[in-house]
Amino acid sequence: MSQPFAKPWFKMTSREEFRFLVDVILARSTGDHTVVTLQDEQSGTTRFANNQVIHHVDRRCSRLTVTVSFGYRHGTASTTDFSAGAVQNMVARAERIARVAPEDLEHLPPPTPCQFPLRETARAETIAAGPTRRLEYANEAIGLCRMENLMGAGIVSSSVASIGIAADNGLFGYETRTEAEFSITVHAGDVTTITGADSIRTGSMGTGWSAASHRSIDHLRIQERTLVAIDKAKRSRDARELPPGEYPVILEPAAVAGLWCWLIQALDAKSYEKGTSPVAGQVGKPLMDKRLTLSNDPGHPDLLGVGFTQEGLPSGPSTWIDAGCLQHLAYDRFTAQAWGIKEMPTLEAPILSVQGSLCGTIGDLVKQIDRAILVTNFWYIRSVNHRDLTLTGMTRDGTFLVENGHIVCPVKNFRFHDSPLRVFRNIDAATVPLEAVSPETRKMLAPAMALPRFHFSSVTRW
Amino acid sequence: MGAPSWEELADLALTRVRRAGAEYGDIRLQRRVIEHMRGEDRRIASVDNDEDSGFGVRVLYRGAWGFAASSVLSLEDVPRVADLAVELAKQAASVATEKVRLAEEPVHRDRVATSFQIDPQVVPLERKASLLQETMEVVHQRANIVRSTAELWWCRDRKRFQSTEGTVLDFDLLAVNGSISATAVFEGRCATRSFHLPYLRQGYELIEETCWPEEAARVAREAVEKARAPAVEDGIYDLVLDPEHLSLTIHESCGHSTELDRALGYEANYAGTTFLTPDKLGTFQFGSPHVTLVADNTEPGTLAATGYDDDGVQCQRWDIVREGIFVGYSTSREVAPKIGDSRSRGSNRADGWGSIPIVRIANIGLVPGTASLDQLIADVKRGIYIEGQGSYSIDQYRYNFQFGGDAFWLIENGRRSHMVRDVIYHGITPEFWGKCDGVADWSHRHRYGFITCGKGQPVQSGWMTHAASPALFRRVHVIRGGKGL
Repeated sequence: MSQPFAKPWFKMTSREEFRFLVDVILARSTGDHTVVTLQDEQSGTTRFANNQVIHHVDRRCSRLTVTVSFGYRHGTASTTDFSAGAVQNMVARAERIARVAPEDLEHLPPPTPCQFPLRETARAETIAAGPTRRLEYANEAIGLCRMENLMGAGIVSSSVASIGIAADNGLFGYETRTEAEFSITVHAGDVTTITGADSIRTGSMGTGWSAASHRSIDHLRIQERTLVAIDKAKRSRDARELPPGEYPVILEPAAVAGLWCWLIQALDAKSYEKGTSPVAGQVGKPLMDKRLTLSNDPGHPDLLGVGFTQEGLPSGPSTWIDAGCLQHLAYDRFTAQAWGIKEMPTLEAPILSVQGSLCGTIGDLVKQIDRAILVTNFWYIRSVNHRDLTLTGMTRDGTFLVENGHIVCPVKNFRFHDSPLRVFRNIDAATVPLEAVSPETRKMLAPAMALPRFHFSSVTRW
Repeated sequence: MGAPSWEELADLALTRVRRAGAEYGDIRLQRRVIEHMRGEDRRIASVDNDEDSGFGVRVLYRGAWGFAASSVLSLEDVPRVADLAVELAKQAASVATEKVRLAEEPVHRDRVATSFQIDPQVVPLERKASLLQETMEVVHQRANIVRSTAELWWCRDRKRFQSTEGTVLDFDLLAVNGSISATAVFEGRCATRSFHLPYLRQGYELIEETCWPEEAARVAREAVEKARAPAVEDGIYDLVLDPEHLSLTIHESCGHSTELDRALGYEANYAGTTFLTPDKLGTFQFGSPHVTLVADNTEPGTLAATGYDDDGVQCQRWDIVREGIFVGYSTSREVAPKIGDSRSRGSNRADGWGSIPIVRIANIGLVPGTASLDQLIADVKRGIYIEGQGSYSIDQYRYNFQFGGDAFWLIENGRRSHMVRDVIYHGITPEFWGKCDGVADWSHRHRYGFITCGKGQPVQSGWMTHAASPALFRRVHVIRGGKGL
């Protein structure tokens, strides 16, 4: 192993430097209102496949964006060049747009300044970590796969970002945010060697997957996650083909989150107002199983909460679905004002929970179930019919038949065709909220759930 | 003293890479300008002008890659980033058990520029805004329309690629696009119909040559018709797919399945692998004899026709599927030797200065046949004509897929009759392409570009164009998408 880097991170834009940039921009701008945002991120990823590190990369990208308005006319420009000339040019470009843009009657002045809540959005250990730590973690995962004679592919990434927002009316927010991520897919299958090529995994291959995401790189739990993926891959070999149809299912947290992210997107207030939302007319009414609650908890230590949003609004705790009833919509500022909504709820740190007697682990939940398809994760979820929020997607990296409280065999991946508005109306059993990370979503806490009916429309034969 | 030139910065970086003992290194310096104007429900909701510049240094040291990038184009940061890329490569090399070997490529010195008539940057914003507002007004003139969008977008890239092998390439590339959508509500049922320009490497003439009021009136009329249309009945239908729709089917089922890095497992953790493993090359029956798919990164105006890829490999034309047989992959200098190819196909691309290049789908197109569109439709007793793109989903092996569309017309006894809604068809990639029973001729060929093809970790957006003429597929399984709660 090579020596740790002397300077793993390049210096980020500080609060004082951001304030200086804001002062320069505000002094330069002739607009009625000017809003400035900063995103300065240093990120790195160590990517591996076939038990080899394939990419070991690092990137620094700093961006300033300014929105200038004259009355209802507004324009936005951005730059990655923080030199005086480039910043001046950015303001000029935004002003040029704002002077000729048609009036936009939905444009509002910047939000009223407020004291943003202080959140623990940055962890020193993630800031201190760099490529050496990422490579060590990748090697740890690869080593575990090699010990089992399996193939691993995945990533270890970490980032630190300076995020800022400011406006001419005194609005000012700045915070440092860190994030670390690990995900791994383990392949277990026959090895076929072909002429002039590497060993290629073919045949009745099994795959297993696991992932973690956290503000702290110390919380990625590489060994635990890798062993979960290894276990799933080994169990997934020689999958049995079951016919498509309605099945009871156990959805692991990542699969639950994959469906819920589409439901959350459907809560847009403007679509609701225009009658094009799948939840139109449902505010205040039962939408889900009455034991379900969806809330926002930006202060939760295991979630990616923030102090303020991109629009310059404070984040805060809120309940979006309470006892199965829809309480809130996702408002843009104009719609919120038109509807007289004083505090716009945010949902960057979602927790989905089920009331009642709950299992502590997915294993405990499986023990309670007579027969179901256990789904680790969904892939390529897309809307099929926006009106009823029918979605499609594939099961991936660990799909099993459960009978009499045990996993009895792996099954070939199914395509599903169902709506979260239907499937979450009745829940048979659930766990406590657990970490849910998938390629389809940012992190949330969600339970594994046993659901009585889920429609699989076809099966893959691969 | 003025700012250092890109040539000076490139020389500075590559000198350090060479001195560090790397066997290969390259640098890409890039300045991208994007203007995006978005109209929504009659108003101009946003006008953004984004300037993004930076550089990335890629180093191969003892068979392992390191890559570092920065948005700070300065004499201080270039050496820092070059040294960091070397250190990252050394670290990766310290744990590598298998070495990367690059396929040979001649040294190139060239300049590539998009040919255009009207620079979108000099077209007054007022003119663009008026065009979008007038377009949305036309959409809203029709009863039952509740929402509209209209957008204009252009992107200009100035880029230098320089490698330790001596290749020096300068690029000045432009791409332009625009779109319209209309959403109608009828008896509580909503439907959206869209019009998309094809994302071409052209100038603003692409926008000016389009009859926006005519397209706006058409999408509004068809949105209402779609909302009023009866739902399709589940069953087996012959499908006639239009070029815009086929571009997505080709992209997902033919494009991604023939990326060699996926076949080798590089994307196993995210975008997935492919059922088209290298042992199938040259023998596997991918489709019917009507199906010939050609990758052509040399066709002017298409998104991947950039002269050279981000390996510095010259763009090429090659067969992917020849008369139904799978015969070719999209490759890079790294993966080409792994199947015994001596030269890369030139399909290694990064989505910007801050990303390491990865294998991307080429401009894969379906080679036209000899029939007219009317002849294809006349040959169908019970079928559906599908236009545009809708729902799409495909498994991680690019094998089991499902597609919707933007508009659907029933075909009865050889004639297109009325619109239906909620059409979804699904299938298995080689079985579906095996059902292709005819492709329309060159006069019906159209191209559609993609700029949001997600792949890689961190995820990157790939750009490519897929061309096709309408094609006929027999006996495809169709279901109604969404049947109420």
